[in-house]
Amino acid sequence: MIRLTSLTKRYGDTVAVDDLDVEIRPGVVTGFLGPNGSGKSTTMRIIMGLDAPTSGSATINGRRYHDLERPLHEVGALLDAKSVHPGRSARNHLRALAASNRIPPRRIDDVLDFAGITSVADKKVGGFSLGMSQRLGIAAAMLGDPGVLLFDEPVNGLDPEGIRWIRELFRSLATEGRTVFVSSHLMSEMALSADEIIVIGRGRLITQGTVGDLTASADGVVTVRAVDADRLANAIEVGGGHVERRNDGTLAVSSLNAEAIGRIALDAGVALSELTPRRASLEEVYMDLTADAVEYSSTAAPHE
Amino acid sequence: MSDRVTLASTTRAEWIKFRSVRSTLTGYLVTVVLTIGLAALITSAIRTHWTSTTELRRITFDPVSSSLGGTLFAQFAVGVIGILFITSEYASGSIRTTFAATPRRGTVMVAKLLVLSATTLVMAEVVVLAAFLLGQRIYQGVVPTASLGDGAVLRAVLLGGVYLTLLAILGFGLGLILRSQSAAISVFTSLLLVLPIIVIILPTSWQNTITKWEPSALGRAMMSPTPALDTFGWATGTLVLCLYVAAVVVTGIVLVNRRDA
Repeated sequence: MIRLTSLTKRYGDTVAVDDLDVEIRPGVVTGFLGPNGSGKSTTMRIIMGLDAPTSGSATINGRRYHDLERPLHEVGALLDAKSVHPGRSARNHLRALAASNRIPPRRIDDVLDFAGITSVADKKVGGFSLGMSQRLGIAAAMLGDPGVLLFDEPVNGLDPEGIRWIRELFRSLATEGRTVFVSSHLMSEMALSADEIIVIGRGRLITQGTVGDLTASADGVVTVRAVDADRLANAIEVGGGHVERRNDGTLAVSSLNAEAIGRIALDAGVALSELTPRRASLEEVYMDLTADAVEYSSTAAPHE
Repeated sequence: MSDRVTLASTTRAEWIKFRSVRSTLTGYLVTVVLTIGLAALITSAIRTHWTSTTELRRITFDPVSSSLGGTLFAQFAVGVIGILFITSEYASGSIRTTFAATPRRGTVMVAKLLVLSATTLVMAEVVVLAAFLLGQRIYQGVVPTASLGDGAVLRAVLLGGVYLTLLAILGFGLGLILRSQSAAISVFTSLLLVLPIIVIILPTSWQNTITKWEPSALGRAMMSPTPALDTFGWATGTLVLCLYVAAVVVTGIVLVNRRDA
């Protein structure tokens, strides 16, 4: 369990994390979603005790990272896959980590095998591809068999095989009752691997909930086709719906659900030939939610 | 037995890290080659020209410090070992992994210092002893020699190893403050090479007061059995250098605890 309480981090005038209050529960995969520069990595570094918050706190199982007696047994993290001395072998990197937290050396072979990098264990990390480095990072995170796992953009640089492997890994780690906290700037990725999603933008919490909650909360659009479209449109507008006429003769209705529209059509005596509710995709919901929070967005070139 | 993360467990981890990169071995090899190789070169040259050396030079000649002349070059090699031991962690970002494993940063730094100073001290003492013995062997029969049986001589040779160790720690401290390999190497070489050059430009009366405070002058004071008139005695020299190094290292540790990693 990770708990962020009024977490705030400022760099001079820039607010990287703004009064964040969330709880990341064990047993599920929690996606941490936001555009680039929205404060995801900063938040993760604060959880890991690497950056000091300006105010508020981040705790793991009720304690600050600094107060953990055997940190690698409680928290495993993959923050930046390339942050290993390039001249050191994968095995020696893991040996040093194991020694610091008194993890038995046999565990090193286990995690190398688990991450599928046993064959390159004695090679220098500098020659690793990003995908191999990600696997080494995951091996390092699993070294102490921790109950809480943090992954910052873990899918970057992985091939499709690796992506599938990592999704299944998150799933099985969560099933084992661990807390799995995964950041990404890609909604499509989170839609596939996360159970719960926390969306932030400009360091602020935008929304939090299950994948289902997020799409349900978004306004769906119902496509309606009727012989007498004009009469139906009037009736719907009277009934409180918003109608947009499409070129193909259908009506796009928002603010009313399919059931209400069907009732209005019945009352108005208009025969319907189509009534199709369409739920917004998670991607659309995300784009909608973060539209105001994108730090660098492209705009049309200014006119002279 | 406690299974917590302690100074002992962190020191074991740092020892593995120190040994497992090539730059450490390279740095020590350069130290060996420079100290012993230059001892052979310098003492052979002195022996060759001894008959043509002036009487004044012969009287003030010191067989100990002349055989340890290589340390003035080897000091850069050990300094770089110390610098790289910390700046490579910042360059690669592995410092975050290190601090995640041992959240108490002071513990990490003390562990690194233990590994760096113990290894460098053992290595440097062997090297200066070898350089001294080789030098005396070359001098033998022509140039006056010194013996380790003489307390002052033994002390001067052993302090040669201490001097190199302190400079490795100085390099580490500068690396910790600056977090950049190139910046730390620039400052380190400036302190040892450029500072003395600047002092030469100053008026003579100032030179005499300032020169003896320079790290390399402190090294000369430590490595001569009989101190020259313009330097500190060995004890004061060692103490002043220790204070310099302590000031730099303490500043580094204070900063590392304050800064975001």
